[in-house]
Amino acid sequence: MNGIEQETAEGCTLIRLRGEVDLSWSQQVRQAVLEALSTSTRVGVVLSEVSYIDSSGIAALVEGFQNARSKGSSFALVAVSDSVRAVLELARLDRVFPIVADIEAIPNVSGAPAWKP
Amino acid sequence: MEALTRPLGKLGRATAGALSGMGYAAMLLVESLYLSMVGWRIGQPLRLRAVLEQMRQIGVDALPIVCLLAFTVGIMLGIQFVSALGEFGAQSQVVVAVAKSVTREFGALITAILVAGRSGSALAARIGSMTVSQEVDALAVIGIDPVRYLVAPALIAMLIMLPLLTVFADAVAIYGAALYSAPALDITPSAYMLQTMSLLDPGDLGQGIAKSAVFALLITLIGVSTGFSVVGGAEGVGRATTRAVVLSICWIIVADMIFSYFLNR
Amino acid sequence: MTAPAPLIEVEKLEAWYGKRRILNGVDFTVHPGEIRVIMGGSGSGKSTLLRHMLGLNRPVSGSVRLFGTDLATASDREKLEVRKRIGVSFQGGALLTSMTVGDNVALPLREHTSLDEQTIRIMSRLKLEVVNLGGFQDLMPSQLSGGMIKRAALARAVVMDPRLLFFDEPSAGLDPVVSAELDELILRLRDALRMTIVVVTHELDSAFKIADTITVLDQGNVLMTGTTADVRAADNERIQDLLNRRPREVHVDADEYLQRLVGETE
Repeated sequence: MNGIEQETAEGCTLIRLRGEVDLSWSQQVRQAVLEALSTSTRVGVVLSEVSYIDSSGIAALVEGFQNARSKGSSFALVAVSDSVRAVLELARLDRVFPIVADIEAIPNVSGAPAWKP
Repeated sequence: MEALTRPLGKLGRATAGALSGMGYAAMLLVESLYLSMVGWRIGQPLRLRAVLEQMRQIGVDALPIVCLLAFTVGIMLGIQFVSALGEFGAQSQVVVAVAKSVTREFGALITAILVAGRSGSALAARIGSMTVSQEVDALAVIGIDPVRYLVAPALIAMLIMLPLLTVFADAVAIYGAALYSAPALDITPSAYMLQTMSLLDPGDLGQGIAKSAVFALLITLIGVSTGFSVVGGAEGVGRATTRAVVLSICWIIVADMIFSYFLNR
Repeated sequence: MTAPAPLIEVEKLEAWYGKRRILNGVDFTVHPGEIRVIMGGSGSGKSTLLRHMLGLNRPVSGSVRLFGTDLATASDREKLEVRKRIGVSFQGGALLTSMTVGDNVALPLREHTSLDEQTIRIMSRLKLEVVNLGGFQDLMPSQLSGGMIKRAALARAVVMDPRLLFFDEPSAGLDPVVSAELDELILRLRDALRMTIVVVTHELDSAFKIADTITVLDQGNVLMTGTTADVRAADNERIQDLLNRRPREVHVDADEYLQRLVGETE
């Protein structure tokens, strides 16, 4: 089943996506990401349970990341599933997004530039 | 025997070709009117922006040349009527002769021929080259009905702009005639114009406008249908462009004659 | 376990061009996830078959179904739904010359979705990145080279993330390096975006590199459909001629031949 869940842990807002992210609801994902960024300076999008993401979903993540950078907030993709990784690699976005294995690894705001692949 | 049947066969094929061409144009007309009206309901909305862009290309961009030609023809009519009617001492009839001939015939005719040369050919060339380069196919498989995207905006723009251009041409041509013949008639150009206004009835203008709407249909449909039927690459596009202009002008003149006959009985 | 429903079902398709028969009762089925190559020399009917599958030609007899929908009998709405789920890259690219590369790629999104402009921009530029044309969005198609036009056309074809992609002659007119890149790209698209891909080509190397299965067409007939290995091992003279690039043996009939040269005489 598709779904978005939002939770806050250790001063960090997590958006957990589930299922197949496609055109039918990617605008909701975009809203959720932009809202989270407006209230929190540390946002992670958990993608471990995403079995498919289309380019409108990727576009939502790109816009979120750009938004975070302009505000100096930190933004990371967490626990990326293989199918999501394949799509990211297709457009070489795996070298653009901060991708971390778990929640603790989301960079702190102060240390935002410290993130390295 | 064959010498006899061959030309007949040729004639038959040409007739069949012309008929199928007319059928195709009629189909395009029906389809684009249908899509303009209910297209949005089946996911094929007519874009206002496309219509406005076509209106600019067909109408606004044609203003200078229409102005120039209408003015010239106006002067020409002034010259002819002043000399011809002068022979019978009927110079006072110049104003009404110019007014009626321009509004009923020449305004619509000159404008339509000009627009056929400018925009009819451009439509045929544009759609023809898009057909050759598979752009029309690409639109279709993207799910954009080529008739909605290419034909409907042009048709609507033409139906709006050609009558407007015609009215504009009427005014300019009469003004041209006024400038030439006012001295010969011993009146001022503005008095000439006022006299014209009082002599014209709405039916005269209406006749020209009704014709120009029919010409608009002819120009667009001939332009787009020759464009869509292009075969044979760049050379084919060139041939189609010429064909579109020649066909439109022939049809315009024939339609004009038929119209004049029925409207002035 | 039941096999997934086929995405393309062509049955007994016949096509005529005037009095010449182009397709001779062709059957053709493609299942989800496949890369199918339609191979054949010129005049084999492969382009005609493609046009029928795209709904650009109406079948004289036989039927074509995409996603279970028969395009010949479908309503306009149903047809549109099918067309939103397919992408096509034409042989010459067929980019609209009146708009920029970026607008070309964004066109399907602008026409068929109500996404906001920012998302549309990101999505279309993303696809330009995928085909290695990042930053080229503001150029006009006339400013691109042949290989770039093909890649831009591919970007437009996949911008809606279609489930089914048709690619007409990916390597025609391209140098070997560029065409190898395109082959690579086709494979990556299938793997990452799970597309089913139908490629029409006469290039053997490219065909064997990308295909899961190959359909060999010859003079309007399907000679065989099988895996690349099947086709290589096929015990069919015509297929072996194609594989070994041997020209067709021309049958000569003295009477007919003379008549063709001299023309009709009374």
